[in-house]
Amino acid sequence: MERKNNWKAWLYLSPVIILMAVFTFYPLINTIGISFLRDYDYTTGANAGFTFDNFGYVLGLTGIERNGQMVFYTDVIRYAIPNTLIIVFVTVPLSIIVALLIAVGLNSIRWLKSIFQTIFFMPYVTNAIAVGMVFAVIFDYNGLWNFLFGMNNTYWINGGASSANGMFALCVYIVWHALPYKILIFLSGLQNIDKQYYQAAQIDASPRWKTLMNVTVPLLSPQILYIMITSFIGSFKEYSSIVGLFGKSGTSGQGYNNMYTVVYYIYDSIKNNNTHLGSAAAVMLFLVILVFTVIQFKVSKTRVHY
Amino acid sequence: MEIRLVNLTKVFPGNPKKNIPDTRAVDNLDIVIPDGKLIGLLGPSGCGKSTTLYMIAGLLEPTSGEIWFGDEDVTRLSPEKRGIGLVFQNYALYPHMTVYKNIAFPLTNLLVEEPVLDQNKQKILAFYKKHVKALPTDIPTHKKGETVHNPYTKKDEVLKFDCSHIAGDPILDEKGNQAYVTRKRHLYKLEMDKLIRETAKLVQIEQYLTRKPNQLSGGQQQRVAIARALVKRPRVLLLDEPLSNLDARLRLQTREEIKRLQRDTGITTIFVTHDQEEAMSISDEIVVMKLGVEQQRDHPQEVYNNPRNLFVAQFLGTPPINMFDGHVKNGVLTIGNDKIRDDLPKDIPEQDVLVGIRPEGFLVPAVNKEHTFNIHVDMIETMGRDISLVGSNEHCLKPTFKAILDADTEVKVGPLAVGVKPNKCFVFYKDTEERII
Repeated sequence: MERKNNWKAWLYLSPVIILMAVFTFYPLINTIGISFLRDYDYTTGANAGFTFDNFGYVLGLTGIERNGQMVFYTDVIRYAIPNTLIIVFVTVPLSIIVALLIAVGLNSIRWLKSIFQTIFFMPYVTNAIAVGMVFAVIFDYNGLWNFLFGMNNTYWINGGASSANGMFALCVYIVWHALPYKILIFLSGLQNIDKQYYQAAQIDASPRWKTLMNVTVPLLSPQILYIMITSFIGSFKEYSSIVGLFGKSGTSGQGYNNMYTVVYYIYDSIKNNNTHLGSAAAVMLFLVILVFTVIQFKVSKTRVHY
Repeated sequence: MEIRLVNLTKVFPGNPKKNIPDTRAVDNLDIVIPDGKLIGLLGPSGCGKSTTLYMIAGLLEPTSGEIWFGDEDVTRLSPEKRGIGLVFQNYALYPHMTVYKNIAFPLTNLLVEEPVLDQNKQKILAFYKKHVKALPTDIPTHKKGETVHNPYTKKDEVLKFDCSHIAGDPILDEKGNQAYVTRKRHLYKLEMDKLIRETAKLVQIEQYLTRKPNQLSGGQQQRVAIARALVKRPRVLLLDEPLSNLDARLRLQTREEIKRLQRDTGITTIFVTHDQEEAMSISDEIVVMKLGVEQQRDHPQEVYNNPRNLFVAQFLGTPPINMFDGHVKNGVLTIGNDKIRDDLPKDIPEQDVLVGIRPEGFLVPAVNKEHTFNIHVDMIETMGRDISLVGSNEHCLKPTFKAILDADTEVKVGPLAVGVKPNKCFVFYKDTEERII
């Protein structure tokens, strides 16, 4: 590009750059800054100076003196982090496998294909909170789930349901809600695979599962990588599904925050004017996601075939 | 193995609502492909040659007709059971696998039969030997968990065997004391490796085994594709436009390669092409097709020398045959006022005909002064070994025609009287376009 025209390019880009600077870059950097400030007040900006204690407090390592006693805050380390990890390592692989199988199935049928595609895509256009409310009804004490599977005395999401039951209902809901987008991506990827690969596999008497594992999956690996990275990041940030399913309490009725996730904690902190703690948690989450994504890219170098 | 196509027909259904008629891609094709020969299916695009190939492969189901591999009717057999190797036009090599794995892929699915000593059969035989004096001539086969009545004991006692792994009839060796069953198993890694390296050597790609297909040139990829088709020792090798993705030089080299491979392996090979030169150069026989119908099947030279109709005559040969309007009367063939031949049978009724003269069918100077063909020489192209003469005649169906002459022939631009070789001059009916002589 010629140099004299540069200012024009900047002019055209300026609306986006300004908006992003105000609403993305500045908050991003400010978050890191706030995470190192003691007792930050977001209305006035007042703080008590630089500290590392926010991180320690979030992780339950640093206590706060209250009534002459050291109090440790352990909800994050006891609930939010385990719950988030369960969500990430259960729902992401599960939903990818299920979505892949459904996509392969959809791709191989001819009859009613478009109708089934529409049906499977429906959850995507449905609001997460609305879906959560429906799932809350399904997993109610008198709900469909208990009726179908004959579990008469089981609480799943309220009435003091155990954390395991709550997580189970949550994972079912997250997987179901995550499927349509993945199916869509996989299906478009599948349609781009040359039919001749399958004909060649057929002539070589390859069994179906082997064709799936040795031909379809490797040829779909760019889409699988994309889905894996985006849904790992998305799952680390899981929040709205908990609100949808359990209401605004963050608990399955146990009286404490046993359904917390990391992002749920961040939102709660900001609500309670603990912005510095929320920022500290956000920075740590950012680092964890960063490390995970880098690992995935490293692994994918040998496994993904473009 | 001989391949027979009997009344093979493939109709692709149209859509009556949208007024799309049915397409008869292959129409009543009857071909016998002799064992161990290389056959070229030749025709312009849309003539049904690829459809025929895919039907032989089993990837398309014929609408009617039969396909026989030797004595076996394979018409309704699925592709994997036919024992064929297919080389796709764009090779369809798996991009994520190395060359080695690509070639190994068919082998990993292959089941081989081998006779193995059956422990259970041996137990039964031992049992019979112990309790029965004479060894039975035929041992009954038993199913798993079956209770076996021993017909040879007098007490009619019920004996139980563990017949868990018995399959097939027992095979006794000459001593009559060993039991074999045929067992199906996958190939062992070492066996595979041996086959892969042998095949790779055959197509000369041993040094590329660790590469991925996209690190190879087109010709190398094609050889990998052939190796993948050959490695499982197919009964039939099918090649779909095998040379169309290669550049001109590589094409010459590869077609010799294919011919050599076919001769070395002796596998019945069918290949599809629209390039007549390619088909003529390597095929033992060619089948010329047009709109799903077989036009002519013979040795390449025979098809060239004796085309059955105008289509075959025009399709074979470069430069193409030159066509003229002619007239037959009393066994004399004329183009305009020029007598070309007078050796035609007298019983051909007088009529207008089409005359085809091969480019190499012109004689300069004319030998017989009575039979000369007056043309105008427009241009002379020197091509080294021979010269190409661009001429015109008012009765030619095209503005100009081409003649190939010896390089030392002396010609000048201007009017010229040439002779015509009778065996390079074909006469066709104007309406049916069938050959008269």
